[in-house]
Amino acid sequence: MTGARTSETLPVRYSGLDDIMGRIPVSVVWEITLACDLACQHCGSRAGRRRRDELSTAEALDLVDQIAELGARSVGLIGGEAYLRKDWLQIIAAIRAAGMECDLQTGGRNLSEDRVAQAAAAGLNAVGISIDGIGATHDRLRGVIGSFEMALAAMRHVRAHGLEVGVNTQINALTLAQLPELMDIIIDAGCRNWQLAITTAMGNAADHPDMLLQPWQMLEVMPLLADLARKGRERGLFLQPASNIGYFGPHESALRNVMNEEIHFHGCNAGDTVMGIEADGTIKSCPGLPSPYAGGNVRERRLRDIWENAEPMAFNRRRTLDDLWGYCRGCYYAETCMAGCTWTAHALMGRAGNNPMCHHRALDFQSRGLRERLVKVKDAEGRSFDHGEFEIVVEALADAPVHA
Amino acid sequence: MPTPRFMPEPGRIPVPLRLCRGCQHFVRIENEACDFCGGDLAALEAAHQLRSAEVQDMIARLQAALAVH
Repeated sequence: MTGARTSETLPVRYSGLDDIMGRIPVSVVWEITLACDLACQHCGSRAGRRRRDELSTAEALDLVDQIAELGARSVGLIGGEAYLRKDWLQIIAAIRAAGMECDLQTGGRNLSEDRVAQAAAAGLNAVGISIDGIGATHDRLRGVIGSFEMALAAMRHVRAHGLEVGVNTQINALTLAQLPELMDIIIDAGCRNWQLAITTAMGNAADHPDMLLQPWQMLEVMPLLADLARKGRERGLFLQPASNIGYFGPHESALRNVMNEEIHFHGCNAGDTVMGIEADGTIKSCPGLPSPYAGGNVRERRLRDIWENAEPMAFNRRRTLDDLWGYCRGCYYAETCMAGCTWTAHALMGRAGNNPMCHHRALDFQSRGLRERLVKVKDAEGRSFDHGEFEIVVEALADAPVHA
Repeated sequence: MPTPRFMPEPGRIPVPLRLCRGCQHFVRIENEACDFCGGDLAALEAAHQLRSAEVQDMIARLQAALAVH
């Protein structure tokens, strides 16, 4: 999301033109451990056990200073489960002391009231709880019976300690139909920010292709989300579509509207205003991207050097229309969109530049009586942030005339 | 917090689009007509601004009336 950052009421993680020109990593997403107490079917990093070589406390605290030196405004702690790292409160306190906002993204299974109290005392600003569907749907996706109720309990703890509480939800074949009811539940639970992302075919999710949405389902997803965004706003809920939701079509403004109807998707901002960090100190331009996008490790180079000079961090600002392929290469929105979310495109197609998860594209195919369907042709290897490969099958819409 | 500095190689500058108030599609900023519905973008924008002003006026009058009662 980019625009002139004219309003002080916008979250600090929103970037403006000055941030792009200065290439400020406005929003840093930091996996501080891969240890996890859930077993999510869609986990891109295949979290569970901690990495063998996670940063020490001293290294992590030094990294906080290096992040601040780059002008970052917001650091989001993720995992695994960030609270399973013994020094997580020290890290939060150091981030706040360095003048940056800090939020925690969590499944909330063991986010007890004591833990929330300690995090609040350390200066934590906000907590985003992952809730994917209702009751048994969430429990199935998260791999732990009772985890839905635990997540709601975590929301109550967060609110009780005066912290801002948000919800993150995966949109996939299991959760799509439950989104309207889920919105009612999270509003009643005090949520004011709801971030939605399409489940991306990475890590564990690549092993469950039946869970993934098909490209033609964007015809259902986008109108639904635009409607929920409008209804949510009337009830004080701010719906935030992740970068892998879009693109354009007649609902773009309604969905992306943040106090300004002219705001639209402008392309992937990995490496421009977003940075991802893995628990072993690997630096990436986006937390979800696979290893070819890693720019280096802070154990070997200073963060500023990696951010400013590492070639893999520069792919976004240097790419041109010639880097696009397939449908995206000739798309009306190619110059602005640049094939949308790099993470989603790479995970599905094996390389960036052609992204079938797109509303404009689905509408175009629909107008010709066609639709695209993804078929998995290669399994993932079973590593963190790995992916399989999919092929696109173009087929006739049921009962629709074909004008190929 | 350090002051943002301008780097020799800035990030990718987004290519802006404009919103067609007729069909709600975004179109190229230099367009006079919408590539999707064919509408006159300037005329549609003017009509939208007029409607918005009328709605704002209505809200203000409603709020004033509610304050009286």
